[in-house]
Amino acid sequence: MSTSSPAGFSRRRLLAGATGLALLAAGCTSGGQDDAAAETAAQDDRVAGQVPVQESVVAAYDAAAVADPALGGRVAPLAEQARSQLERLREAVPDATSSASSPAAAPPPGADVLGWLRGQVAAAATSHATACVDAAGARAALLGSVAAGLRGHEAALA
Amino acid sequence: MADERSAAGREDDALRATLAAEHAAVWGYGVVGAALPPEGRAPAGAGEQAHRDARDRLAALLDERDADPVPAEAGYTLPFPVLSAVDAAALAVVLEEGVSASWAALLDAAGRSAVRLLAVDALGAAEVRAVAWRVAAGRSPVTVALPGLAGT
Repeated sequence: MSTSSPAGFSRRRLLAGATGLALLAAGCTSGGQDDAAAETAAQDDRVAGQVPVQESVVAAYDAAAVADPALGGRVAPLAEQARSQLERLREAVPDATSSASSPAAAPPPGADVLGWLRGQVAAAATSHATACVDAAGARAALLGSVAAGLRGHEAALA
Repeated sequence: MADERSAAGREDDALRATLAAEHAAVWGYGVVGAALPPEGRAPAGAGEQAHRDARDRLAALLDERDADPVPAEAGYTLPFPVLSAVDAAALAVVLEEGVSASWAALLDAAGRSAVRLLAVDALGAAEVRAVAWRVAAGRSPVTVALPGLAGT
């Protein structure tokens, strides 16, 4: 186990440099307190960065309901789940401020509203999954779970 | 180094727990398939194959790390009698939600981004299959907010 695990600071630094990741392991202490503090801050940023992504999903459900009220009624439970996902992400970064400047998403006139909504959800799922791989610990689990939840939405919207 | 070793040990433990869940899913999908009419068995076959692939990936990962994999159990207990196509779909939902909990726990325990990449893909794929089975089982809603996490 000791030969194959990515243990050791220099190895991790090498990986971090190669991939552009600020950190790779959770709960590591070999780098000292400064690294641990920087790690926590970077992790918070990772989740904070996904809050606007999830806000755009909630906005997309709202916009779809305006454009196609019948569809809106059908996907109301999914919209509610998207809101609770957003709540959980916000709870994970207590200092996060709501980004009121998120571009208001709306389906283009004449568009297939369901297809547009599915595309918005799929893009957010991919974004959360990418952030999950770069995160660690409970934050990785939360981001991965939200990503998977939106993959399920994407399937349900097909 | 003790911390490094325990972090790696935590990841190994989570890999083993996920492997155990995948063994159970492979077994369970055999029951799911048997309870479906022949013309409706394709999704069960696809699900079983997906779990075989996940099982093999996990066993290979543990092997690479010189960590012992866990074997399949000699027998498993069904959570309820599976006597109809709806029962079969409900069992498949249980199987997918079971592996999802393990994959999410692995995301929490993983020290390596490569492991998280495997886990997040597997978690998403399990939820997509779960959605189809919830539809077949007549559940509503067919999606969950936070697959694999408790209290969703």
